[in-house]
Amino acid sequence: MKIDRRLFVNFDWILLFIVMAISGLGLLNLYSAGFNLAGGRGEPLYIKQIYWILMGLILMVAAFSIDYHIIIRHAYTIHAISLFLLFLVFFVGNITHGSQRWLVFYGFSFQPSELVKLTMIIALARFYKDNQIDEGYYLRNALILLFIIMVPFLMIMQQPDLGTSLFLALLFFTLVFFMGIRRNIVISIAAVSSILAPLLWFIMKDYQRERILSFLNPERDPLGSGYHIIQSMIAIGSGGFFGKGYLKGTQTQLKFLPEQQTDFVFSVFAEEWGFLGVFVLMFIFLSLILWGFKIARNSRDLPGTLIAFGVTMFIFWEVFINIGMVLGLFPVVGIPLPFLSYGGSSMVILLTGIGLLMNISMRRFVLHP
Amino acid sequence: MTKKSKKWLRFRVTSVLVLFLVLYIALLSRAFQLQIVSGNELKSIADKQHTRSLKLCPERGLIFDRNGEKLAVTVLADSVYVDPSMVKKDREVSGKLSSTLCLKEPDIRKKLLKPGNFRWIARQISPLQAAQVRDLDLDGVCTIQEPKRFYPHRELACHLLGFVGHDSTGLEGLELKYDGRLKYVSQKVVWGRDAKGNRIYLDERSAIPNNGGDCNLVLTVDSKIQYIVEMNLKAAVENTGAKGGNAIVMNPKTGEILAMANFPRFNPNAYSQYPASSRRNRAITDCFDPGSVFKPFVAAAALEEGVVSETDVINCENGSYVVGDRVIHEAQMKRHEELFFPEILKYSSNIGIIKVAEMLGKEKFYKYITEFGFGSETGLNLPGEAKGILRNPSQWRRVDFATIAFGQGISVTAIQLITAMSAIANDGILMKPYIVKGVVNRQGEIMEQYTPEVVRRVISEDTAKRITAILTDVVGSEGGTGEKARITNVSVAGKTGTSQKFDFTLGRYSSKKVTASFVGFFPSEDPQVVVLVMLDEPKIKRWGGVAAAPVFRNISERIVSCYNRHLNLPDVVAERQTPEMEIVQASMSEVIPRNEDVDESLVPDFRGMSVREVLKVSQDRGIDVRLVGSGWAVDQKLAPGISAETDQPCYVLFNEGF
Repeated sequence: MKIDRRLFVNFDWILLFIVMAISGLGLLNLYSAGFNLAGGRGEPLYIKQIYWILMGLILMVAAFSIDYHIIIRHAYTIHAISLFLLFLVFFVGNITHGSQRWLVFYGFSFQPSELVKLTMIIALARFYKDNQIDEGYYLRNALILLFIIMVPFLMIMQQPDLGTSLFLALLFFTLVFFMGIRRNIVISIAAVSSILAPLLWFIMKDYQRERILSFLNPERDPLGSGYHIIQSMIAIGSGGFFGKGYLKGTQTQLKFLPEQQTDFVFSVFAEEWGFLGVFVLMFIFLSLILWGFKIARNSRDLPGTLIAFGVTMFIFWEVFINIGMVLGLFPVVGIPLPFLSYGGSSMVILLTGIGLLMNISMRRFVLHP
Repeated sequence: MTKKSKKWLRFRVTSVLVLFLVLYIALLSRAFQLQIVSGNELKSIADKQHTRSLKLCPERGLIFDRNGEKLAVTVLADSVYVDPSMVKKDREVSGKLSSTLCLKEPDIRKKLLKPGNFRWIARQISPLQAAQVRDLDLDGVCTIQEPKRFYPHRELACHLLGFVGHDSTGLEGLELKYDGRLKYVSQKVVWGRDAKGNRIYLDERSAIPNNGGDCNLVLTVDSKIQYIVEMNLKAAVENTGAKGGNAIVMNPKTGEILAMANFPRFNPNAYSQYPASSRRNRAITDCFDPGSVFKPFVAAAALEEGVVSETDVINCENGSYVVGDRVIHEAQMKRHEELFFPEILKYSSNIGIIKVAEMLGKEKFYKYITEFGFGSETGLNLPGEAKGILRNPSQWRRVDFATIAFGQGISVTAIQLITAMSAIANDGILMKPYIVKGVVNRQGEIMEQYTPEVVRRVISEDTAKRITAILTDVVGSEGGTGEKARITNVSVAGKTGTSQKFDFTLGRYSSKKVTASFVGFFPSEDPQVVVLVMLDEPKIKRWGGVAAAPVFRNISERIVSCYNRHLNLPDVVAERQTPEMEIVQASMSEVIPRNEDVDESLVPDFRGMSVREVLKVSQDRGIDVRLVGSGWAVDQKLAPGISAETDQPCYVLFNEGF
């Protein structure tokens, strides 16, 4: 592999800056979220998060160093490895909170379902590279598509992790619709899902049903399943315009806010920094997303566009769903807030995804055979 | 990739972007809705979640006598509360608490079983009980200190001071009248709690200010005289078998009340244990027919109008005089043929004074007695003052006019009577009586100051001197009715009175139930002290001259002996009579025992402190203290302000106030 000098010239410093800014804010916020939590074993989470960021940065470098065309070439293999890891979870995975989601290597736990989000994007890019849009779909193609999504979807659902599996489906359909799809396929998907949706209700675990019910009416059980969302809204709302000040969020520091280092980390931020802080944070996220769209638009070829679009949508949907959830717009699903929630797998995968964006961005002028 | 498909792809990216921007803006508007639109509402919900607040009794200002003696103070008392959610063995807890606090066990258990996490169990208990409660070390049972009103002298001046309720609101007396001034601030204790209900930061006390409050009162009352009066009144009531009585000491030149006492008394620290009847300040709220003590005012009016003079002889009809359809007799069925005008007062002739009143005429008579202040409030700054009963002369029958002249058929309060007598003592000028010298805030600024206030001139100076001379004879000359009020070396002017009480069950004046009274002043050359003594229904000695006059003498003698440096010389002016303090000085030096810049080398004023505080302060200053009793310090052997470097131990006397 030859390193082109132009790659350095075209390196996307702005993207790196935006990501580092968000991660920095995330660390600051994580410090506050863990500030008053009693003891705990080992290091505080923000220190661990730093390790994860460092590891993610290494993977990011790897992800932009290898030409994405090479990655595309091995896309199905990569996706297959990721599915294999997901498969492994059923046998050697760690069980926490009643579900089996984690693989543990040498003390580091890792969630293959996070990895699948990224490899699915790559696999789809490969698929659309092989099958040009205007060629139409054959049954074989449809089966490949189905395989790419259905296998991980079902496996993750079995863990069980409804949130992540639905997220995967959402990301999948975003990309598929983006690439264009025949009307009768849309109709048949709509028909199948309208039949499946009630079925889904029956295969759902009790806690999942509770979440949906309590989303529809949080006051139904304010101390039980509605507690999270009510406390989150109180924390966010009580921040007001200017917020209560760093480390001074009463709802956070007095532990009224649940899951404040993971899913509800945004509420911590909103309480302490107020609407002003929320505005700034959302602005930074928006610039990241816009930058991703720009990379997608400016990519020289379709796989580049698709990967860039996929990674951007990955981040967008996570931001949108997580913030929507803590603001009480959506039911509570376990989707983390990119770069802010504590979580090694999420952080590493996101930074790898950013590496892919950089990869596409810096090679936008490179000609390929 | 074809150019066309590339263009198409770009269009797609852009349109998706626009779609998602809309979603993004939806998120931001939701954040706006939560944080800005309903921010305050959610903030108050949040505050409710993580703070618990508790309103404590407000602190109250101090009440001083004229010499800076503290009559009412604020101490810190423990209150016991319970967090029912923390109580596991409710039977055990309620059992132990009920035996320690002497409360009913089911009542406590009811509180323990209620939901929530705060209930008062007992408020403002004694330090000893609080220590016992703390020693029990029960889960969920806590004590918190809150201000409590404490009257270190217990019953002393109880009717003047009044008392405060559990919420520290003045209910009677000066506490009621000056509630707005005395009440400092309601203290609010706020503490944070976390999601599990644990207290995390403690006792952030904030004050809710009370405008115009935060003040101390300085009274005109001299607690030494008050003590003398109360002791003598108590003895007199017990010796005569009276139902009760009251006594007032007043400075005639200024209208200052030096003492005002009623018997029976009550202890304002435990006012609820006393019947309401003994908590009333009868000296101002209750009226009685004055009887013969009223005669000097009739005589003064007649002298002023010139209808009689000292040399005039009045025909006293040999002890029976027909007025209208009634026959008037002298008291004790005495008979007088003819008396000189002054002898009417000396022998207290009813018929004589009727004749004088008739010479004066109804209208003039009415004019003078209203000018002496009868029939209207004196305006003393205490609540609940009565007007007395004085009907309009147009409603008087002839017999009414006659009886009013010797003090039956008119109803007056003790304070009206002594105020009117003070006008005679004060060269004819009626002064407005007052009991509060001033209201001073903690910074030493005077908020209100009361000064002697002239109401009106009732009689001329000459008339006043003449009537004083006559009244001096009542006490001083042989055979006068006020003989028993004499004091050695001091000339006293005064008048006795015995009146029949109106018996409401019989609907007429009772022959058995009487009030015996004496009003007098001394020295008659330059009157400085007026004393009134009134005994209600004495059983053993039933005449003013024998029941009330000796009480007057005892009180006056003690006053004279206490202040004889000044008083045995008739020309001494009243202002120097008592070693009084300037009101600002009193409040400045005495109010702030909790002030930081106290001189560490001096013996502090322990009074009002708890045992623990006394031990702490004395240890800091190296004073050897001996503690006697329990409760709050009420007295100390080494006076405050002397040097702490002494070998003598300082005995500190404690009392719980009950």
